[in-house]
Amino acid sequence: MLQGIGASQGYGIGKAVIIEDINLDYSAVKYTTAQEEKARLAKAVEAFTVETRAMAEGLKASAGEKEAEILEGHLTMLADPFMLSQMNDKIDGGAVAEAAVDDVCTMFYDMFAGVDDEMMRQRASDVKDIRDSMIRILLGVKSIDIASVPKGTVLIAKDFTPSMTSQINKENVSAIVTEVGGVTSHSAILARAMGIPAALSVINATQIIETGSTLIVDGFKGKVFTQPSEAEIAEYTGKQKAYLDEKEGLMVYFNKPTVTKSGVKKAVYGNIGKAEDAQNVIQNGGEGIGLFRTEFLFMDRDHAPTEEEQFEAYSTVAKAMDGKEVIIRTLDIGGDKAIDYLKIEKEENPFLGFRAIRFCLKNTELYKKQIRALLRAAYFGDIKIMLPLVTSLDEVHAAKALINECAAELESEGLHYRMAPLGVMIETPSAALISDLLAKEAAFFSIGTNDLTGYTMAVDRGNANVSHLYDTFQPAVLRAIEMTIKNAKAAGIPVGMCGEAAADERLIPKLVAWGLDEFSVTPSSILQTRRNICECE
Amino acid sequence: MVSKTFTLTNKMGFHMRPAQVFVTAMAKYASEITINFGGKDISGKSIMTIMAACMKCGSEITVTCNGADEEAMLNEAASLIESGFGEE
Repeated sequence: MLQGIGASQGYGIGKAVIIEDINLDYSAVKYTTAQEEKARLAKAVEAFTVETRAMAEGLKASAGEKEAEILEGHLTMLADPFMLSQMNDKIDGGAVAEAAVDDVCTMFYDMFAGVDDEMMRQRASDVKDIRDSMIRILLGVKSIDIASVPKGTVLIAKDFTPSMTSQINKENVSAIVTEVGGVTSHSAILARAMGIPAALSVINATQIIETGSTLIVDGFKGKVFTQPSEAEIAEYTGKQKAYLDEKEGLMVYFNKPTVTKSGVKKAVYGNIGKAEDAQNVIQNGGEGIGLFRTEFLFMDRDHAPTEEEQFEAYSTVAKAMDGKEVIIRTLDIGGDKAIDYLKIEKEENPFLGFRAIRFCLKNTELYKKQIRALLRAAYFGDIKIMLPLVTSLDEVHAAKALINECAAELESEGLHYRMAPLGVMIETPSAALISDLLAKEAAFFSIGTNDLTGYTMAVDRGNANVSHLYDTFQPAVLRAIEMTIKNAKAAGIPVGMCGEAAADERLIPKLVAWGLDEFSVTPSSILQTRRNICECE
Repeated sequence: MVSKTFTLTNKMGFHMRPAQVFVTAMAKYASEITINFGGKDISGKSIMTIMAACMKCGSEITVTCNGADEEAMLNEAASLIESGFGEE
């Protein structure tokens, strides 16, 4: 069994076809005349244009307009008069057409790759794709015919470029395996758009796997089974069928509004921990992001992220969600989480100690960086700020004052920003008990059932002797939830839920009846949650 | 020679799509066009150099047109930039 990254959900069983890299060595090409080389270049540009245009059309049909835009961009990029004149200059300087393409593309590749911006790095891979295609055309090498692989093929390659993925026929390809790339790579995005299971970053896949051998690919866990037993094939065939049946049933809900039988509009959002997870929410039909946990930005490093780094992460999510609501929770850490550089003392009772909003309001220098980044990112989308672990009104007042201070700074610095509405996470019994008062100060509520259950029941869910008390269905917890929703409704502010309970089919009818507006769940549970809500009265 | 200074107002700045719209519009004109950004001159007809310059929202740029149809060219450049390339 080979282990990679599960990048596109589903199970694929089929025969391996390995896509070898094409040899683009042009060192044997001899220079003729400048005129001749320029004519070869012009002819290759023409061939590239015809080929790419056809691929873009094909991709529009198989994966959608948006995916085809990448290839259309390639056309504009190669049509750049500056780029072409640079290539012709190289030819005048004695370079063969292949070398002219290589040099100029490499120059732009370096330029784009050097910029600290995700979009620019994408342009770098576009330039590389253009370079490879152009040199292949100039050398007269036939591209691998990915389009005509037989039904039941598992495609294996080092990596898939946009021009390669555009040829994939989703009817015939049961899974994709690559040696590089993660969940946000081009291959992953395309695989998900086409609904093909994919395991990426499977080390040495093209060497270990033999063409023609039978494989099972688990796109959830990123596993590739080589030489599977009869029993394994039977097991995964069953899993595949169950998954596809379930998916088909749920796909009905992808573009459906979340509306109960009696016509009340609700919304299903996704919870994320990293900026790139926003894609998962979109792919699963989420109507927004109900909880972006910012702790991950602060973990596994030796100093706090800068305002710019945070701005990059928050604005990436805002842009990706394209105007949909994005609720970002400010730093929620405490003595139980090891972030050494924050120098939070080990405490006897970290869950009752110096954490979350309590820590942030005492470390305003750190907190203001986050708030500034949030306000700046809010310029790019519908960002809302959410305060974790609120237990008193004072905390909301203090946070508001800091936000106003940051806004005034940004104003005087002339930076683009937008005031992001401030909401409160209801995850302590105290917050639930004063939710009528908090509702006057907050723009919205989001009920965090995981901590609310633990704090209300005064139970450590990790302690086996008491963990049976950790139960969201305990009347005390249900009353806290009901009270919070009622108080939000009375004050006319929206109320959501971002804990595991929001996806619990047993609880959803109650939440709907009480008037919960927004259910924020793990991206993979979005459609299921929408179905459960739509089936409520 | 005519020139004008602008501040980019569309959210994403001069990324792929605006650059594409801009160079396609500018290609119609015979005049030369340069964009001065951060002290560097960039050809206004080259999508690659425009994108590589990484001009973001809020960036201040000066557009200079030079040639027979410079007035018309600058006018169209101005309306594209000021309308945020039809983006938000």
